[in-house]
Amino acid sequence: MWLWFSKLGSPRWFYELSNKWLPWLYVAMMVLMSVGLLWALLFVPEDYQQGQTIRIMYVHVPVASISLACFPLMAVAGTITLVWKMKLADMVAKSVAPIGAWFTGLALASGAIWGDQIWGTWWAWDARLTSLLIQFFLFIGVIALRSAIESQDAAAKACAILAIVGAINVPIIKYSVEWWNTLHQPASDFSMDPVAPNPPEVWVPLLIMISAVYVFFVIALILRTRNEILQRERRSQWVIDLVSREKSV
Amino acid sequence: MKPHRRKKLGIIVFIAVGLSTAIGLSLYALSNNIDLFFTPTQVAAGEVTPGQRIRVGGMVKEGSVEHSQEVLEVSFITTDYNHDVRIQYAGILPDLFREGQGIVAEGAMAEDGTFIASRVLAKHDENYMSVEVKAALDAAGNTPGMPQGVMQ
Repeated sequence: MWLWFSKLGSPRWFYELSNKWLPWLYVAMMVLMSVGLLWALLFVPEDYQQGQTIRIMYVHVPVASISLACFPLMAVAGTITLVWKMKLADMVAKSVAPIGAWFTGLALASGAIWGDQIWGTWWAWDARLTSLLIQFFLFIGVIALRSAIESQDAAAKACAILAIVGAINVPIIKYSVEWWNTLHQPASDFSMDPVAPNPPEVWVPLLIMISAVYVFFVIALILRTRNEILQRERRSQWVIDLVSREKSV
Repeated sequence: MKPHRRKKLGIIVFIAVGLSTAIGLSLYALSNNIDLFFTPTQVAAGEVTPGQRIRVGGMVKEGSVEHSQEVLEVSFITTDYNHDVRIQYAGILPDLFREGQGIVAEGAMAEDGTFIASRVLAKHDENYMSVEVKAALDAAGNTPGMPQGVMQ
C-alpha cells in the first residue's frame, strides 16, 4: 500500500496513467451529460409550485455539490503537501483552486437566477448564501496567495494552510440550512415512491446530472494537473523525451 | 510513519480542531444574529422592539389574506402554529405567495403589534413534484412526508 502511495505521488506515473483514463472519462461525460441534460430540460414534468423554473435545479445542485467537494479536496492535498511533501499533491491543490472558484461562482449565479424567480430576490444575507460567498472569496484568496509568493515551496505551504483553515467553512455551508433559519430551503429527502414528494421522476435525472458534472470536474482537474506536471517537470528527462517524441510525430 | 511526519500531522490536526472549536463557539454565540428572521413565537416573547428593522418568517395562515379593494395593499397573518403575527404590506407579492406558503417579511413592528412590511419574500420548501403527483396526493386526502412548516 505504501509503495502504491509513493508511486501515485510520482508526477510521471500520474501523467502516464491519466493518459489512459481520459478517453473513458470523455465517453462517460458525453453519455451522462447528454442523457442528463435532455432528460432534465425536456422530460422532467413541470413542478406544481415552480413550473418550468425547477429545471434550474438540474444545473444548480450539481455545480453547488462539486464546489463543496473542491475545498476538502484542496485541504487534503494541502495536508499531504505539508506532511509528506508529495509533489503531485501540491499540483492537484493548485489545479483545483480555479475550478472550485468557477463552480462556486456558478452555484451562486444559478441560485441567484432561481431566487429571483421564486423568492422574489436574487440575494439575501442568509447563512447558506453568505457562507457560500465566503467560500468563493476563499478560493480567490488561495489563488491570489499562490501568485503573490514567488518561491514555489513557500507558496505551496501557505496555500495548504489556508486550504486547511478554509475547509472549516464547508460543514458550515452544508449544515447552515439546518442550524439557522434561512431563506434557502434544506436538502430534500429522495423518495422511492412515485406518488410522494421528491419522486424518482424528479431525482433520477438530478443524479445523472450530478454524475455528469462530477466526471466533467475530474476531467478538468486531470487536464490542469497534467499541464502543471509538464510545467514543473520541464527540465526532467522524461518530459524532454516526451516533447521531442511529440514533435517528431 | 516517520516521527517528524507524525509530529507535523499532529500539529495540523491540533490547529484544525482548535480553530473549528473556536469558530463553532463563536457561531453558536452569534446564532441569533445569523438567523435570517424572527419567528412569530420570538415576536410574541417580546424579543423584538417596535420600530427596529427586522425580518419575520412563517407560514401564511389559511383564510387570513385580505386584499384592499382600492390600493395595492394586503394584510395577512403569518404563523408558526404557536403564535401569529399580522403583517401589512403595500407592494407586489412574489408569484409563490399564497395561503399555507412560507414567507419572510422585512420591515418593523408597529406599536399596535402589526408588522409593517416593506418587502415580502416567498420561501420554497424542499418538496418537488409534478402537478399530477400533487393532484394524486391531494386526492388521496393527505400529503405524506410533507413537513408542517418553514421552521426547522
